[in-house]
Amino acid sequence: MKTSILAFALRALARRKARAFALGGGLAFAVALVAAVVFLTESLRAEAERAHAAHPDIVVQRLVGGRPTTISAADAAKLTDIPSVRSVTPRVWGYVFLPSLQGNVTIVGTSKGAPPLSMGNGVLAEGRDLAPGAHEMIAGAELARFLGMRPGDELGLPTSNPDARALKLVGTFRSSLDLYTADVLVCDEEDARALLVLPPGDATDLAITLSNAAEARVVARTITERLPGARVIERDLLARVYHLAYGRRAGFVLGASIPAILALLVLAWDRASGLGPDERKEIAVLKAVGWSTSDVLWAKLFESLLVGASATALGLLLGYAWIFWLGAPGLRPALVGWSVLYPRAALTPAVDVAQLLGISLAVMGPFALLSVVPAWRAATADPLDTMRT
Amino acid sequence: MTHARARRVALALVLSPVLVVTGLAYDAHARRAAKSNDEPAIDALARRLPTSDLALSGGARWLRAISLEEPGAAFADGPASPDPDPAGAAMAPPTELWSR
Repeated sequence: MKTSILAFALRALARRKARAFALGGGLAFAVALVAAVVFLTESLRAEAERAHAAHPDIVVQRLVGGRPTTISAADAAKLTDIPSVRSVTPRVWGYVFLPSLQGNVTIVGTSKGAPPLSMGNGVLAEGRDLAPGAHEMIAGAELARFLGMRPGDELGLPTSNPDARALKLVGTFRSSLDLYTADVLVCDEEDARALLVLPPGDATDLAITLSNAAEARVVARTITERLPGARVIERDLLARVYHLAYGRRAGFVLGASIPAILALLVLAWDRASGLGPDERKEIAVLKAVGWSTSDVLWAKLFESLLVGASATALGLLLGYAWIFWLGAPGLRPALVGWSVLYPRAALTPAVDVAQLLGISLAVMGPFALLSVVPAWRAATADPLDTMRT
Repeated sequence: MTHARARRVALALVLSPVLVVTGLAYDAHARRAAKSNDEPAIDALARRLPTSDLALSGGARWLRAISLEEPGAAFADGPASPDPDPAGAAMAPPTELWSR
């Protein structure tokens, strides 16, 4: 019986095609917009947290005038005997401004004993790892493409140090790792030191790994006692930064989408504010030919469900296709910013069934229920009175 | 439209969110599985980089490693306020001009 009422509801919608398409289209657009922002935000958070575990438990910087500056590598010796500290590594990295790019390139020095990079472990698209002391570099695929470089080419980076040597490109990172390497140039530590004009004995920061990550807070407190003025950054606190940064951007984009959300509310208000004369007349006729109030309510509920369900399905599909199949045109700059060197790697969905169902139910539930009240009012009215008016 | 056909179409429309959610969840799962092949590479790479920050807005903000250099990045602009740095808005500047 219920499926017959469902079929009747579909035919009733077909009689009011224009209204059904306007309602469904507006709803689908609003769902697509909200879903796309959620999909993109979750995907970026997941990407930012994917490499998080591989990073040092604690990073120590030196502050001068409240700003990070270089730290003496000798300070590492003051930290090695803290219980739970496994290693303290002075790191050399920084930025070089490329006028041709009008942007910064991140120079990363490779210290001795660093894990190897190769095509075999999937990091490099072509070429090989650096040979120590050979003045070589590995660049991100996007950076190499922008500079028009291929393995074997040499590049002299702008620096105030006349002793800095031109570097030979010996490898490029895989483009699927673009999100991490688009603007990265990895070279020998000595070359990085020369390019960044970092005096011998200085480092950009100290990377500390612990034998027990749970003791990071205690170790951090000890470090601040031993190196007054140092800035101690714990790995777990960085996870919160990622989470909040993308959440804030998502909130901003959703805020800008308020007109679209308002359109959805107007549609809902249209549903709640009552039925048109034609629909009232239709309900009266149904009552006159023997339909019960319950049958009429089911018919109206099914009408809303049909519009809401198909619009939600279409909206989710459009939102997903927008972000993961088309690469989020228009929305990506709004949420992730832009740069001359812009990673082109496809985003990986982090959305799960629960989130998809959550969005679906949040839209369909209120939309369907809003239709019941005016339908109940019309269904309980006297059919003769309704037809006369 | 016959009654039987209307019934089938209506049922398909009501169930369409379930079909779409299942299909999208399957596609997302397949893409995550494909991405998991990159995990060892990301792990090896991350040990050579200073941070796990994404290379997204370095050129615009001049802060590639935001989490290390600007740990308050999430709050720097104020809640729901426009970003004073050109790193987030609906329209990008003409970046192709910068490189000339």
